[in-house]
Amino acid sequence: MKKTNIVSFAILAATPFLITVVALISVMYGTKDISALTVWQAIIAFDPSNVDHQIIRTGRIPRIAAVLLVGAFLAVAGAVMQGITRNYLASPSLMGVNDGSAFVITLAIVFFPGLPNYQMILLSMLGSALGAGIVFGFGSLIRNGLSPVRLAIIGTVIGTFLSSIATAIAMYFQVSQTVSVWYNTKVHTVDIDMLLLAIPFGLVGLVLALLSARAITITSLGEDIALGLGQKTKAVKIISMLAVVCLTGTAVALVGKIAFVGLVIPHITRFLVGVDYRFIIPCAAAIGAFFLALCDVLSRYVNYPMETPIGVLTAIVGVPFFLYLIRKHGGEKRA
Amino acid sequence: MHKNTSRVFVLTISILILFILGASYLHITNGVFDMSVIDVVKTLLRIEPNPKFDLVIFEFRLPRIVIAALVGIGLGMAGVVLQGITRNGLADPGILGINAGAGAAVVIFMFFFQLNIVTADLNSWLSILMMPMFGFVGGAMAAALIFSFALKNGHLDMQRLILTGIAINSGFGALTLFLSLKMNAQDYESAAVWMAGSIYNANWIFVAAMLPWLIILGFYVYRKSYLLDYFQLEEDSITSLGIAVEKEKIKLLLASVGLVSACVSVSGSIGFIGLMAPHIAKQLVGIQHRYVMPASALIGACLLVIADFIGKTVFAPSELAVGIVVSIIGIPYFLYLLVKSKA
Repeated sequence: MKKTNIVSFAILAATPFLITVVALISVMYGTKDISALTVWQAIIAFDPSNVDHQIIRTGRIPRIAAVLLVGAFLAVAGAVMQGITRNYLASPSLMGVNDGSAFVITLAIVFFPGLPNYQMILLSMLGSALGAGIVFGFGSLIRNGLSPVRLAIIGTVIGTFLSSIATAIAMYFQVSQTVSVWYNTKVHTVDIDMLLLAIPFGLVGLVLALLSARAITITSLGEDIALGLGQKTKAVKIISMLAVVCLTGTAVALVGKIAFVGLVIPHITRFLVGVDYRFIIPCAAAIGAFFLALCDVLSRYVNYPMETPIGVLTAIVGVPFFLYLIRKHGGEKRA
Repeated sequence: MHKNTSRVFVLTISILILFILGASYLHITNGVFDMSVIDVVKTLLRIEPNPKFDLVIFEFRLPRIVIAALVGIGLGMAGVVLQGITRNGLADPGILGINAGAGAAVVIFMFFFQLNIVTADLNSWLSILMMPMFGFVGGAMAAALIFSFALKNGHLDMQRLILTGIAINSGFGALTLFLSLKMNAQDYESAAVWMAGSIYNANWIFVAAMLPWLIILGFYVYRKSYLLDYFQLEEDSITSLGIAVEKEKIKLLLASVGLVSACVSVSGSIGFIGLMAPHIAKQLVGIQHRYVMPASALIGACLLVIADFIGKTVFAPSELAVGIVVSIIGIPYFLYLLVKSKA
């Protein structure tokens, strides 16, 4: 227990520094390199007529802010899902949560065009809940359906289904291009209003996750133990799923679908800090933010001067890790 | 009993062919430019040739129908082989990631040879003929990866097989996306159209590119389909029959990868046909693979021609990629099979 404390405090102490370094690189370098001094001036003494200041204020800072938030949100959402379902493959992108959100957003673009941003975020959350609901509902209907491997299969297939239907609807109403702006990761064109709105929604999710952290730790030990300790398992599940929905809904509304962050980061975090979710959740947030920011910086340089979608970078790390998890754990239940 | 089965088989095959002809008829007469049956028949039989009809039928609609049918045949047969080898009804080239592997290889090919398949003409016929070969290398690599990860104590673990497929799918998907973004705008467009799993840029060169693969490998897997019956038995009993199980499995697997690659290289990734067709075939003609194989091929053709017809007409004037139509039909079926299958 002591060691866990030290490691997690070390992580929480080191990540702000690491994140600052990555953030600085992210803000300073790009298609146009801008000196640290100019960056500083753009922040403290903004001059609207200076193009560099404009780039920093309207382009680079929103971008890094969005990436850091989304990284933290997805990592925490994944950690909560893995803990609560005791399923080592649970994660927003595998369980149809991302696709559900994108599905509802497509419907909104088709049937209620021009909705204000905050309503889009709410709809995105509704969609996350819908996706998760269908996947878990279906999983609990069939025999052994909640086992890690089966649930992952069901999640992927239902996710594909939802996004196929969304594509068909978008085609039929001829709004594919508008929808594709939502669908595809769009870190380089973050909407500032959306970003400001995402912060409170995401914070609600983070707070809910932190509040249920203790209960998640107990649940992750097993249903029987949780019941024996007098835990209201249903209430815990509802609150923590609410946190997941808030976090992923906001993340998708902000930058689109990004896979593997929510799968990989919680595993790395658990490896570092152990099984206590009071430490896992904040550490996952910090590591997730750092990881996604790093991917974002790299995404500008892999194919310079063209930008590579950030999803390609997360897949480079995520796919081998996913294969490793399957190889190591197979169908066993554990978180 | 045996005689009865073969009679059912002949009947099923005949009905399927009628279905395919019916679907092709709908496909050829409907579209942005509607034609009457008489016009179509006249054009096909070269009575009073009319250049306008000739163009629509021979350059646009007929190659598209032929490709839809051929891709359906290829995927239907590959599905039977994969389900037979893995002894699992949820196997499908798309789900296992073979499509994605072949697809990535084809995009690599397009990237290095600057091949634009949308405006493909006779000058590039050689490159088009080579596309299935590249696809084959990629598909075989994906298959090797999938099987090496899914082997557990020398046995195939089906759930791992599907999960590895999911991983391979997203890995090759990311690679394909990355490469396609490095292409110049025109090549990118052609790669994007192709990746969506579509056949609306069909032409006769594609037919020529995939036909030899389908004929040779199709004939091979049909000849070997009796082996798939044996594979349903316990491992020990097959070995005692004097069959080199592993060797035959690998040969059949490679043949099905070849079939899939030929399909993928002309139509992009189309999933779930290889899943649905064998199941429907088994319900119609029983479990003997020498009957299942041709029935599944024809069902695949039928499904794909119908799906392409739906994608083209329901969403007019825009066209929905046939791959998406197939997923929308195929996924509920997959879930139904998942519910039915024993855990």
